[in-house]
Amino acid sequence: MAKVFIYPATSLILSDLVARFGHQPLGSAISIREHIQTPGFDSPPIQMTPDDPQKGLKWAAVEVPSGIRGRMSLYGPLVEEAEAAIIIDEPDLAFGCMGCARTNELLAFMLREKEIPRLELRYPASKEEGVTFVAAIKEFLKNLEVQQ
Amino acid sequence: MKPYVPQYVGTITKYVFVDSPDTTPQDIATAAYEIAQGVMIKETCFGCQITGSPEDVERIIAHLRKLDPYRIYVKDRGFPPGDARRCRADLGGARPGYLGHEYEMGLVRYIAYGLQETDRMTPEELKAAAGQEMSMPKALDIDILESLMKEE
Amino acid sequence: MSEQPVRIAQITCGAEYSGIQNEITTAAETVGSKMFYPDVALKDVKCAYKDFGLPVKSPDLKLAISRAQAIVEGRIEADGIFIASCFRCAEAAIVRNELRRYIVENSRIPVVSYSFNERTGASTLLTRLEALTTIARRRSLMAREVQVGTTMGVDSGSSTTKCIIMQDNEIIGTGWRPTTEVLKSADEVIALALEESGLKMSDIEATATTGYGRFLVGKHMNADLVQEELTVNSKGAVYLANAQKGFATVIDIGGMDNKAISVNDGIPGSFTMGGICAGASGRFLEMTAKRLDVDITELGALSMKSEGGEDVPMNSYCIVFGTQSLVNALAAGYKREDVAAAACHSVAQQVYEQQLQEVDIKEPVIMVGGSSLIQGLVRAMGRMLNTEVVVPHHSQYIGATGGALLASGFIDKKKEA
Repeated sequence: MAKVFIYPATSLILSDLVARFGHQPLGSAISIREHIQTPGFDSPPIQMTPDDPQKGLKWAAVEVPSGIRGRMSLYGPLVEEAEAAIIIDEPDLAFGCMGCARTNELLAFMLREKEIPRLELRYPASKEEGVTFVAAIKEFLKNLEVQQ
Repeated sequence: MKPYVPQYVGTITKYVFVDSPDTTPQDIATAAYEIAQGVMIKETCFGCQITGSPEDVERIIAHLRKLDPYRIYVKDRGFPPGDARRCRADLGGARPGYLGHEYEMGLVRYIAYGLQETDRMTPEELKAAAGQEMSMPKALDIDILESLMKEE
Repeated sequence: MSEQPVRIAQITCGAEYSGIQNEITTAAETVGSKMFYPDVALKDVKCAYKDFGLPVKSPDLKLAISRAQAIVEGRIEADGIFIASCFRCAEAAIVRNELRRYIVENSRIPVVSYSFNERTGASTLLTRLEALTTIARRRSLMAREVQVGTTMGVDSGSSTTKCIIMQDNEIIGTGWRPTTEVLKSADEVIALALEESGLKMSDIEATATTGYGRFLVGKHMNADLVQEELTVNSKGAVYLANAQKGFATVIDIGGMDNKAISVNDGIPGSFTMGGICAGASGRFLEMTAKRLDVDITELGALSMKSEGGEDVPMNSYCIVFGTQSLVNALAAGYKREDVAAAACHSVAQQVYEQQLQEVDIKEPVIMVGGSSLIQGLVRAMGRMLNTEVVVPHHSQYIGATGGALLASGFIDKKKEA
């Protein structure tokens, strides 16, 4: 079982397919869960505090807006952990954790830069494309098993 | 600053979505309740949310998937269900993630078809299908099309 | 508080991930308002983004556009709107400005815009949200255009304390003192104003306080109205400048921070408050006067002897470097009047660059507060904005005058009681 970073990190479809075909999806929910289940100071809604953008300095410099650094503090550790990645191009309607285009650009770059198996594709727009989309992901994940 | 004491530490929560002519969200929730054995199940408009130990949650999901294998979709959630910090009733509006789900749920019918078709394929056929170009240009979004027609 | 909370629509990008969402919520609750997320569907987001015509890439900014549109079109009700995004994000800054403009032009809902980072705390947000809440809750009070009866306004500012007594729409007493101890200074200015007007405290029918010390002074004198300076000053400004109808822009360069307020029919529409460093405030001009060995009241006249001092190298972005520039300019042989004018130009430039970009500048531009008496600063601001800046009479008493004007709304209420 490989740890597969999903991009968009909030994707229901990718999360489902990765888990369905026997691997562990790494996405936003994992990091948010960690925040929600860690005691500390009360900072609703997602228990992120000004410390998080500071932690994000590891992945983005101080002149980068705080919202990007805060998001990178969620994603940075997951990218480091990732053994593979599936990237959907232009997730223009994924909000919240994936709501910032600049963060998304940096995140996609970090995934591409890392030397791990990577599949890049786009959302299907027809039944036929649905077949290609699922087949590509299934095949990619099957090959990960072989490699492991 | 107020101290924060988390609840449900060590549990995981998963969303179960269903988009099927044969299975309703209520069917999913009922089936989950039947084998819950104390695990927290929350029925929702799209299916249910399950909160418990990772093993318990996986056990229930494996059972639910069998009900409609190609049309049930599962995803991790950071919050336990009904959490006031994320609840629409408390925020006045949906959390941003809801709209993302709404978007992807509009596409799952293609995924369902893809899952069904690839399930019947031999390894060679799968490899060939995976290598297909997704060359069709991005279709015009149905909501945008509707608004353009109204403008006309 | 028995009143219903004022509902403020939150249109932000990045607040949760900057770790400051709780600060926003807390500040809103402190002033009796409640933040809410305007509820829109995915379809609204796609169409709003297309209709608005600004092709942004960030999904949360598309969501922001859709939320603003839902409010302006009346699909969602809100008493006020808070627009904010991450400091240093260019994409969000464009959206923030365009949404603010769109809301002001297409609705009567008050709006405040702000850029934050992870250091933004509830206290920073408090005055802004208090002003937003006041405009929403007290619209009828804010609509007052004529002073009636005998009223008093006290402005307890960070540098100076001011008092104004008004009777039948005329100013009849004034008091002014540097702020030392908040209550002592307030008592002194009240005594001065009473003496000038020939009245006793018992003749005053209603009172109001504003400025940093408003709560303390308000409690001390049992004031009828205790109000932040953004709304009170803008009210005082359009009243004294006789610009109560139509649009106006009020600029108040204060001792510690600056305010820029866009006013429509006497009611603030959008505003900014801040100043990254004291270098962009009246404090820098006080230091300049001290270094040039003139009284602050003479700095204006001195600066007017110069053509404008634009060629003197001066950067008041930071008060420390600004002071160094002063010393260097004098050492380089520049004339005192040119240095005085350069200091005025530098402060005007900082205010222009940092704050006036966040409000729509519409004529007349009215400058108020003690710094409006420094002619060189008014001239520099006028040149920067390419307009004739209006400085009304009693402009240094703006908060106290606004307070006295608004206090008259309480006379009838007291009589009824």
